[in-house]
Amino acid sequence: MTPSSSLDTAGAAPHDEHHDHHPSYLVDGTTIKSWLLTVDHKRIGVMFLFFILLFFLVGGIFALLIRVELLTPGPTIMDAMTYNRTFTLHGLVMIFLFMIPAIPAVFGNFMLPLMLGAKDVAFPRLNLASFYIYLTGAVFMLWGMLNGGLDTGWTFYTPYSTHTTTTVAPVMFGAFIIGFSSIATGINFIVTCHTMRAPGITWFKMPLFVWAIYATSCIQVLATPVIGLLTVLVAVENLFSFGMFDPARGGDPVLFQHLFWFYSHPAVYIMVLPAFGVMSEVVSTYSRKNIFGYRAVAYSSLGIAFVGFFAWGHHMFVSGQSTFDAGVFGVLTMLVGVFTAIKVFNWVGTVYKGAVEFSTPFAYFCGFLFFTVFGGMTGIALGTVSLDVPWHDTYFVVAHFHFIMVGATIMAFLASLHYWFPKMFGKTYHEGWGLVSAALIILGFNATFIPQFLVGNNGMPRRYYDYPERFQALNVASTAGASLLAFGFLIIAFYLVYALVFGEASGKNPWRSKGYEWVSESPPPTHNFVGPQVTFPEEPHFYVDPKKAEVPDAV
Amino acid sequence: MQSSAHTADGTANVPRLAAHFASLEVQNHAARLGMWLFLATEILLFAGLFVCYGCYRFLFPEAWAAGSRSLDLFWGTVNTIVLITSSLTAALAVHYAKEGKNKMVGVMFALTLVMAMGFLVIKYFEYHHKFEIGTLPGRYYFYEGMQLPGITLYFTVYFCSTALHALHVVIGMTVLAVAMVRAFTKKDFGPNNYTMVELGSMYWHLVDLVWIFLFPMLYLV
Amino acid sequence: MAIANESHQEEKNMHEHHGAGRYWLIWGVLLVLTVVTVVTGRMHLPNFGLLLALVIATVKGTLVALYFMHLSEHRGANRIVFGVSIVFVVLMLVIPLADFGTRFRGANPPGSQYSDLQPPDIGTGAQRGRFGGGLRPNQTKDTPETPEPGHH
Repeated sequence: MTPSSSLDTAGAAPHDEHHDHHPSYLVDGTTIKSWLLTVDHKRIGVMFLFFILLFFLVGGIFALLIRVELLTPGPTIMDAMTYNRTFTLHGLVMIFLFMIPAIPAVFGNFMLPLMLGAKDVAFPRLNLASFYIYLTGAVFMLWGMLNGGLDTGWTFYTPYSTHTTTTVAPVMFGAFIIGFSSIATGINFIVTCHTMRAPGITWFKMPLFVWAIYATSCIQVLATPVIGLLTVLVAVENLFSFGMFDPARGGDPVLFQHLFWFYSHPAVYIMVLPAFGVMSEVVSTYSRKNIFGYRAVAYSSLGIAFVGFFAWGHHMFVSGQSTFDAGVFGVLTMLVGVFTAIKVFNWVGTVYKGAVEFSTPFAYFCGFLFFTVFGGMTGIALGTVSLDVPWHDTYFVVAHFHFIMVGATIMAFLASLHYWFPKMFGKTYHEGWGLVSAALIILGFNATFIPQFLVGNNGMPRRYYDYPERFQALNVASTAGASLLAFGFLIIAFYLVYALVFGEASGKNPWRSKGYEWVSESPPPTHNFVGPQVTFPEEPHFYVDPKKAEVPDAV
Repeated sequence: MQSSAHTADGTANVPRLAAHFASLEVQNHAARLGMWLFLATEILLFAGLFVCYGCYRFLFPEAWAAGSRSLDLFWGTVNTIVLITSSLTAALAVHYAKEGKNKMVGVMFALTLVMAMGFLVIKYFEYHHKFEIGTLPGRYYFYEGMQLPGITLYFTVYFCSTALHALHVVIGMTVLAVAMVRAFTKKDFGPNNYTMVELGSMYWHLVDLVWIFLFPMLYLV
Repeated sequence: MAIANESHQEEKNMHEHHGAGRYWLIWGVLLVLTVVTVVTGRMHLPNFGLLLALVIATVKGTLVALYFMHLSEHRGANRIVFGVSIVFVVLMLVIPLADFGTRFRGANPPGSQYSDLQPPDIGTGAQRGRFGGGLRPNQTKDTPETPEPGHH
């Protein structure tokens, strides 16, 4: 996504002669400096996209390394210490460098002002700062990982993390800095929602993606400082043995876990709520139908954000916390399922009796739905104390969270990438290849992670590079699936880059969507809208009747 | 979290409206809301340490009582009064900024900074005393006079909390210093342009707020 | 122009500009409350000392927030932001406390009020964990009294 003259064709779509003096954001300034010092939320979103995909590649390569190592019991391609570093790096990169920023920093940044009829986010320079802070943190984290590497797992539990001589401090520092990026983005989006809605857009006329991003931002603002503090405490304790969590000095490692999961459980909702928001948009567009139960979906986003803060102890059922706490957390965890179920019900209700246009984003929606339901249900099962005790730290847990993080969130990320590709770049991609790779990814995903449920249920622990012979068959199956998954991603990379360079111009609204963001040009000009302040007379996705074949609107 | 309000543009007290905001009142509202959100994150940051404090005090009440008595209550009280007074001067700075009295704004911020400096000096002496007698966090603790389970934890919590607080004092001082310099040199604060003063002052009040809780928690167990 | 947000309302709320007197008044109240805190704190009331100190601190904090930080004028979202953050602080505090209080006693730190185990003897200047622990090979200064483990 580096600025180059080959992108010049993206902005000047053939029929847009009268837009010559409102060039698209992609070509309005073609120097490196105009990109690196931009305050345009769209350019910042694109820059985030580039780096996020880069880090996804890094994390994915490490995932493949893990899977190759697990092809055989005992050491296959690496020894135990390297394996520990590998899965730590996979977790850290995927969570902090990819999943947490992915949808909010890319699509939230790009779409939020468009969906609200605003010219930019509330604090554009803070937005740019957030990008550079993210990069700085990434540099520290990766430098630490490459220079000796942390081997504690991404959860860096004490007392090991406070005693290990691997590179705790730089990685912790990197995580700390990335936290600021997350907070800055969250603050920006919340203030944008409060202050920059176009006239007529009341809270309950905002697109559901905006609601999801708003709820996500609330979580980011409230939860991230705790992990910021904790990374500092761990680094300090590792370097100076202050003993905050050291049992010999009266400290308690479980207190670390309380503080850690206070952030990290809401963090998973930071990862998944934007995905839910994207899906609300996609499902309305491709069913050509208003969302079923708009208010329920909007409230459920806030509900998930709120209740997500009460459930953190379900990661600690076997840690030694009290049974009273375990009981409380077990019950509260169930509440999250209620709000998620509301969303699933409403999405299905939207598709029902809609005029479905089965295209690549909708294919990802189908995969997403299946994975959310099964991932979510296994989550509820894991939230039951008696079931979690045998499953804790086995591959069952690994499969559960990959179902949600990869199955739900990455499907949504891919769906949003395809859905908003024309909006962001003004090009179309090849639909056939889109469907093929969606199928490969969905199949590959199933082949990777369903064996992991089985092998975890049979008792294989996570984070082990060695395992008994009887688990080998399922591990090999999982690795085969992972290869298929990787292949699917590779295909996507190829046809999307091809579309970026050689694709046809998409026109303003190729999906004939009535989402608010499609009112502006594709790709939009630098200030999003041309002319007087835009207003949106109807609610978002106001489709009249799915059965009537609607002519492409001049929306 | 800083607003996009730029410096005055020719005529005094007229801030430049950033292009993406619909009006000046929206811009100011956005700046304030952004600042409150940032303050919320600071509250949550200190909260982590408050949790450590609360849990370990719950577990080691004697160590907490002993450790607390070893602190110098007099200077702690002085520090509290100094910080509260600095909060007053910061609030007065906002008041004068709304009235356009730039010199008074500068004076008030100067007083705030002096008192903040006083706070840090007193804190330095307190730390120095601790280094001397050996009531230090974790592995560095060597004070013979208090050997109870959990005593090193008390000082770990003490040092972490007060160090983090002192860091925020320094950050606040920097922000206020910038505002003070602007009040004295550019003299452009007024009823339509006092956002920087207000936001800096809000940050300072948060620093004071944290200390209002830290003081009884650490010194008056 | 009609903005679909709360900026207009907030501008109206903040319109009134009162005198500086109220700040001095609040300052006075805060000082009085500080004195009360110190006096009651030194009494070391056995049962409600902590609660009283926290209540007074909360009152002081509320005064600072409402009047120095103008939360009484910034209505709406600003108040919700501040309030919600306090709620979550309380949540983050209460649940681990409940954990320590209701846990199986053997899992609490030894030597603590809710444990029946003996505390580890950390000695003077002790720099090793009770079970040695994987501490860094290059240790910094030991105090003279405590020999390094392994050098008996």
